[in-house]
Amino acid sequence: MERRRSLPDVLAGGVFVLIGGAFVVGSLGYELGTPLRMGPGAFPLLVGATVAALGLAIVVKGLIAGEVIAFGPIPWRAIAVITLALLFFGFAVRRLGFVPTSAVTALLTTLASSRVRLLTAVAVAAGLTVASTLIFIVGLQMRIPLWGSWLGF
Amino acid sequence: MGTTSRYRAATRMSAALSLVALVAACSGNGGATGRGGTDDYPGRNITFVVPFSAGGPTDTVTRMIAEPMAAQLGGKIVVRNVEGAGGTVGAGEVAQAEPDGLTVLMHHIGMSTAPALYEKLGYQPLKDFETVGLVTEVPMTVVGRKDFAPATLADLVAYVKANANKVTLANAGIGAASHLCGLLFQTAVGVKLQEVPYQGTGPALTDLVGGQVDFMCDQTTNTSGQISAGKVKAYAVTTPQRVKSLPDLPTTAEAGLPQLQVSVWHGLYVPAGTPPEVVRKLSEALKVALAEPRVIEQMAKLGTAPVPPEAATPQAHRTKLEEQLGTWAKVIADAGVKAS
Amino acid sequence: MELFDNLALGFSTAFLVQNVLYCFVGVLLGTAVGVLPGIGPTATVAMLLPITFSFEPVTALIMLAGIYYGAQYGGSTTAILINLPGESSAAVTALDGHEMARQGRAGAALAVAAVGSFIAGTVATVALAVAAPPLASVALRFGPADYFSLVLFGLVVSIALARGSTLKALAMIVLGVLLGTVGQDIYTGTPRFVFDQRELYGGIDFVSVAVGMFGVAEILRNLENEQTRATIVSKVTSLWPTGEERRRSVGPILRGTGLGAALGVLPGGGHVLASFTSYAVEKRISKRPREFGHGAIEGVAGPESANNAAAQTSFIPLLTLGLPAHPVMALMVGAFIVHGITPGPNVITDEPALFWGLIASMWIGNVLLLLLNLPLIGIWVRMLRIPYQVLFPMIILFAAIGTYSLSLNAYDVYAIAFFGLLGYVLIKCGCEPAPLLLGFVLGPLLEENLRRALIISRGDPSVFLTRPISAVLLALALVALVITVLPTIKRRREVVFAGEE
Repeated sequence: MERRRSLPDVLAGGVFVLIGGAFVVGSLGYELGTPLRMGPGAFPLLVGATVAALGLAIVVKGLIAGEVIAFGPIPWRAIAVITLALLFFGFAVRRLGFVPTSAVTALLTTLASSRVRLLTAVAVAAGLTVASTLIFIVGLQMRIPLWGSWLGF
Repeated sequence: MGTTSRYRAATRMSAALSLVALVAACSGNGGATGRGGTDDYPGRNITFVVPFSAGGPTDTVTRMIAEPMAAQLGGKIVVRNVEGAGGTVGAGEVAQAEPDGLTVLMHHIGMSTAPALYEKLGYQPLKDFETVGLVTEVPMTVVGRKDFAPATLADLVAYVKANANKVTLANAGIGAASHLCGLLFQTAVGVKLQEVPYQGTGPALTDLVGGQVDFMCDQTTNTSGQISAGKVKAYAVTTPQRVKSLPDLPTTAEAGLPQLQVSVWHGLYVPAGTPPEVVRKLSEALKVALAEPRVIEQMAKLGTAPVPPEAATPQAHRTKLEEQLGTWAKVIADAGVKAS
Repeated sequence: MELFDNLALGFSTAFLVQNVLYCFVGVLLGTAVGVLPGIGPTATVAMLLPITFSFEPVTALIMLAGIYYGAQYGGSTTAILINLPGESSAAVTALDGHEMARQGRAGAALAVAAVGSFIAGTVATVALAVAAPPLASVALRFGPADYFSLVLFGLVVSIALARGSTLKALAMIVLGVLLGTVGQDIYTGTPRFVFDQRELYGGIDFVSVAVGMFGVAEILRNLENEQTRATIVSKVTSLWPTGEERRRSVGPILRGTGLGAALGVLPGGGHVLASFTSYAVEKRISKRPREFGHGAIEGVAGPESANNAAAQTSFIPLLTLGLPAHPVMALMVGAFIVHGITPGPNVITDEPALFWGLIASMWIGNVLLLLLNLPLIGIWVRMLRIPYQVLFPMIILFAAIGTYSLSLNAYDVYAIAFFGLLGYVLIKCGCEPAPLLLGFVLGPLLEENLRRALIISRGDPSVFLTRPISAVLLALALVALVITVLPTIKRRREVVFAGEE
């Protein structure tokens, strides 16, 4: 049988090893306890080590006989813009208030598509801001100020 | 319930309905803080912050008194649930609210235990709040699984002393009333038992009824249904008086463990710096509400009763808070418990 | 017969005009809020609960039950249409339901979900009326050790949710369990992996993980090739299931109903297992297991029925014992208390009108759900015609707001971004998100019951083998693991042999 090296497998395994390893290191900082009274660190240590071991197995398999997966293009622009939009929402909603935060988040997200025109983006963002205000603030009575303290209202 | 809460529910529902049709309805954004003179207090909607989930015992008590208090104050009271981290999230929010009497906190025994349980608490109970008055003291009960050997509280004390390494004591999670009562029980008896924490009263009680754990101590609100159905064995109630709904159940003092005195006491708070006149108005309204036959009747169904009028005052409440802060600081430190 | 007298009493209560009306309003509101991205059924019920406080106790509880059914169905709707599950059972529905939607069969998926839920609801309600007390006493036999084994069994079974590599599915499950440990340890109060951020003490919100790993990751994948996505919408075929699809759904609906009804009785998390155990069963006994994950209607019919049956029978511990089986039931307890009814074993004798009225209205609620949702399917499907350039910003914005609205915690929104990126990378590498999600839901149950069982047994691990229920479940887990792993090994050997020829 032909050996196939699979980069996605190695990458996936690497992610597992990394996260599992990080949790193992982290859980060593907590009390491990005894079998009778397992401390807060025991379970994550065990599970983290398992994740890392499975990750390692995936890496090894990826180097010997991996799954051939078409990796495809990566939409860098969408990744950057959507991540930014979500982080912005979480950070700003209390400070700027519901309306401006929603508008900016919607506008940023709209720009994730490479085919979008600016005018469309603005229109979509405006429409979504109005809709979300009606649904969440008027309809569901969410208790977030419409305009936040940063705007000096 | 009466007209006020029905109105509140109605507005809320019509608003929610308008969501279905996506029609913009009334957008009265009440409850926002703002300063006003004390003469025209309240003048706007008052918000009662409950630091626990809607439908819980504390929330229920709040809703019971909100309506008659609103009638007395001449305005509307909106109940808002701000849950999280054993009630400290809601309390922290009220500590930082405008001291105008429009944001009122309903909190229970947790107000006095939080400083000992949480390392980084964003507020100090005595410094950051004005006490308004006590509301109710919900009794707790010591209950065991149906086939647990001890028959009386005295038996139980003797049994846990003899079998300290075998007995399991359930609780509803760190800092929960059942946990505190369990700690106090161990202090009173002078033993260290194997505690079995659960996430909430429901699962803990399930395992007690199912016979998986030996005993626990919890509010009458949660236990009286199981006790009267004979699904658990009741040993004692932890208040000076017996409970009306469980007339045959002795008090801890009667049953020979007078040191075990604990209740889930509830009180109202406003941020420090609230004008005394406003605090007085709130306290007066509370007193009137607690004398309402409907409130007394509803509380009786929960296995509790309003505090006497002299306890529904800022001073009595403050004394209770100070005393409880001292008690729990010691019990919790001795037990080495931290919720950080 | 006593049962018929009781049911007569129940229906005479439930058929009061205001009760039917508010049940309908409940179903309507529940569906309307439940379809919002980022708001799962529990949150929907919690949000709408105060509305019911002002009604008579029976009316309030009937309305609340209506809200609960509506919220669940609303959640399945978003899972099918836009791949955004609001709870773990909907994540299972999304696997094949959303694939069907991509193939223009969203209408069929929604219809099968609605009809399957109705049948399951009807059967489970009958089970509830006939056998609630004995079922409840069975549920009480389950101790922590038994729940540990049950959850372990569930984790093994969830390997079947992946259509690809077993090894990767296993890694995803365990990773989910690991991520579930973030937050305060319930035994000691130690905050774990929280980086000193108070907002993380409560752990990571399930909805954030689901929205990130399913919703955001899917959007990123769609934006890879923007030209292909546009074509999906144009080929929406018939709204209703074809004759063949209907035939293929009957078995899964019936099996799902039985499985869900049985698991729902267990107060310690049985309902969580219902939908994906059903999925695993259907995939295993199907003649076309390879279609699963690519739009197999059985993968929608079975889990949806199982979930709804479990939703009905999870009322059993509450109604007969006064013990809530999950967060929604805990909210129901709150509703009992608010209305001056002490929850406990005596409700059934002290408040017969309430008990039987609630049971009768469960069935009415299911009828109303069906009547409301079948006509709505056309409207939901039309939602897919919204241009993608409007749809995906809408999903992201609503999901951010919805997730934030639950506890006003910004970290819930940051978590969406984190899990969106993690999910995107892992999915691109051939890992599937559903097993991770189930590991995440079951992980805390696994740890909690493991440690609790060991505390109660004084550190003696043999409890897991000496308790009969636990031993049987562990054996089942082992069998499930063997039959899941064996075909993979066999297949690989076939490949090896084929390569040598």
